[in-house]
Amino acid sequence: MNDLLNTLLSDARLWRGHRQSTTATAPEQTGFAALDKELDGLGWPRGALSECLLDAPGIGELQLVLPLLRRLTAQQRTVFWVNPPLIPYAPALAREGVDLGQLVSVRTDTQSDLLWTLENCLRSPVTGLVMAWPGPLAARDVRRLQLAAEAGQSHCILFQSRREACQSSAAALRLELDPDIRMGLQVRVRKRRGGWPGQGCTLSMQARAGLGRTEPGATIIPGPWTGGATRG
Amino acid sequence: MFWLYLHFQHLLLDHVARSREDALPLAVLSQGSKRVLQACPRARQLGIQPETALKTALNLAPELVMVHADDERQADILEQQAHWLYRYMDRITLFPPDGLLAEAGSVQRLYGGLDTLRQQLRQALDERQLNTTLTTGLTPMAARLLARAGAHSFTDNAAHMRRALEDLPLEQAGFDDRTLQRLLRLGLNNLGQVFALPATELARRLTPETLAYVQRLQGQRPDPQTSWQPPHHFQQRADFALPVEKAPGLLFALQRMLAELESDLQWRQQDTDSLLLILHHYRREPSRLRIRTTGPEHRADAFLNLLRIRLEQHPLAAPVETLELKVTRFLDRRVASSTDLLGETTDQDEAWHTLISRLQARLGEQALKHLTPSADHRPEKAWNARSLTALSGNHPMATGQQPLRPLWLLPHPTSLDVMPEEWLGGPERISGGWWDGARVLRDYYVARLPSGQLAWVYRDPHQGWFIHGWFG
Repeated sequence: MNDLLNTLLSDARLWRGHRQSTTATAPEQTGFAALDKELDGLGWPRGALSECLLDAPGIGELQLVLPLLRRLTAQQRTVFWVNPPLIPYAPALAREGVDLGQLVSVRTDTQSDLLWTLENCLRSPVTGLVMAWPGPLAARDVRRLQLAAEAGQSHCILFQSRREACQSSAAALRLELDPDIRMGLQVRVRKRRGGWPGQGCTLSMQARAGLGRTEPGATIIPGPWTGGATRG
Repeated sequence: MFWLYLHFQHLLLDHVARSREDALPLAVLSQGSKRVLQACPRARQLGIQPETALKTALNLAPELVMVHADDERQADILEQQAHWLYRYMDRITLFPPDGLLAEAGSVQRLYGGLDTLRQQLRQALDERQLNTTLTTGLTPMAARLLARAGAHSFTDNAAHMRRALEDLPLEQAGFDDRTLQRLLRLGLNNLGQVFALPATELARRLTPETLAYVQRLQGQRPDPQTSWQPPHHFQQRADFALPVEKAPGLLFALQRMLAELESDLQWRQQDTDSLLLILHHYRREPSRLRIRTTGPEHRADAFLNLLRIRLEQHPLAAPVETLELKVTRFLDRRVASSTDLLGETTDQDEAWHTLISRLQARLGEQALKHLTPSADHRPEKAWNARSLTALSGNHPMATGQQPLRPLWLLPHPTSLDVMPEEWLGGPERISGGWWDGARVLRDYYVARLPSGQLAWVYRDPHQGWFIHGWFG
């Protein structure tokens, strides 16, 4: 009995107030120092669901995942994009150093197909990461996916709109993403395993606009065509 | 040199019986006259014998399941048997509707004696639940006659075989009725007595053809046999006595067929990646199901899992009378390239194929795509979605030199309705497509919208502004 208790105590899945220890598995860092610090160095949880709640695409949500994507594809693990809302643009992904040979985009028609696909992908040993845009999900479906991710020891990141997300979720990590005025990404931790929620940080995402260089903003120039009234 | 003849006592009955799970009595009926040709043990218990009239049979067993004898179908089934026999012996001749002849003398040494060969054949026949008479003879015709007479003599002793033939009653010697009557009237009872007659007398009193037949039986006249050539494809069929209405009912028969396929592929040392399943319905176009795996596969379990998923997704259009499984595409078996002690790398490869095949079986092949860049200046044509059927090759990764592109591309550009707050990059002029009619002339900018989203917008010659992507 004592052994059992000790095992439980050494595992971060047991909530122990402020005295928390880290989970046993090696952490998968997010690649952003500020966020890693907020997550106590735990990074993306392996064998568990993560949820990213956001309102609209284009705020840097993929940038957040890119370091993980790069690392996993380099390890020859397959990454599934299930029902992406738009086209994941291959030239840009290649530019970012993602191995496209490991990327599989999946499109499903019905909700039952979607859940079946997610579960199968998560349980397979070849899967490194499943990124999914599932739309509204029932709490029991999330729980089921959580169990599948646990069985397959893979990462799963669900992107959901804030309206569709349920109030409580079995996901191990819930992040709320908001744009920031300086093109940064505001990340608020709504829930995380082995810690208190409520932390937040702002990540600089300027590089995605190619603004690493010291270069002033663009100037609108009229085209080679006549009548160059601009709206910019 | 001697011959082995396999006489299937009731091939059609055995064939139908092994695809059944129920225990109802079963009988095979002749085509024209309504008479029972073959009856299963359960039907025989109820008193139905071969030659029983249909009406009598139905009175004896009202629940009797009937199958009509069909020459074409029987020939198919016989060829199916030749297929597996070919693994044991090479020179096989088909004797439709119910016999196979094989040259046994030359393979005797391979098996180290006739007993081993018999044991292996018996085992193979038992696995397939076929009632068979196995008989050897010195000539093809002799082996056939002895087998049809029901003599279970399996020996390589020439004297013994000759004696068995000589003892054969004339009624079972395969003479036509007229010749048989004349021989009986001469006071002859068995073949030995016919053999004792001088050849010239036999030809003069009867016909030269009769002499030729007798000489062929004895091996005094050549009797060449054309060897059967196994086809280059695999084909199996299962006939159901009662039409199967639900997909799970097919799985029982499929299991056996796929096991047969697995052992066939094992013998060929080959794999396959596509199966064709043809479901024959009553008075309807047959439905075809094509099952593909992403990688070469030979295990029956893997195929069965895919078929199960597929059949769950597609309910049967109509009750199925006959199930046919065809494989025409064979791939050479890949030798595992990695010599990992624990074999982990190959397992990963296999797991990948299993997963992808499962997904494709349920979602359809078009649902899964690989994304690749393609060489074109126009953003909407600079990427490609490849299907996963081909093995994923490694693309040359070009980084650094590529121009800045957004991670999300909109399938169709939408018009820009709000005034961007900040202009961050651009312009980048993209002009091209004059060669294929899809002309593009655009100036691209990176702009931040009031909502905080970073958009890839462009302006076209008509002064319209559009969003073409998001920097996600």
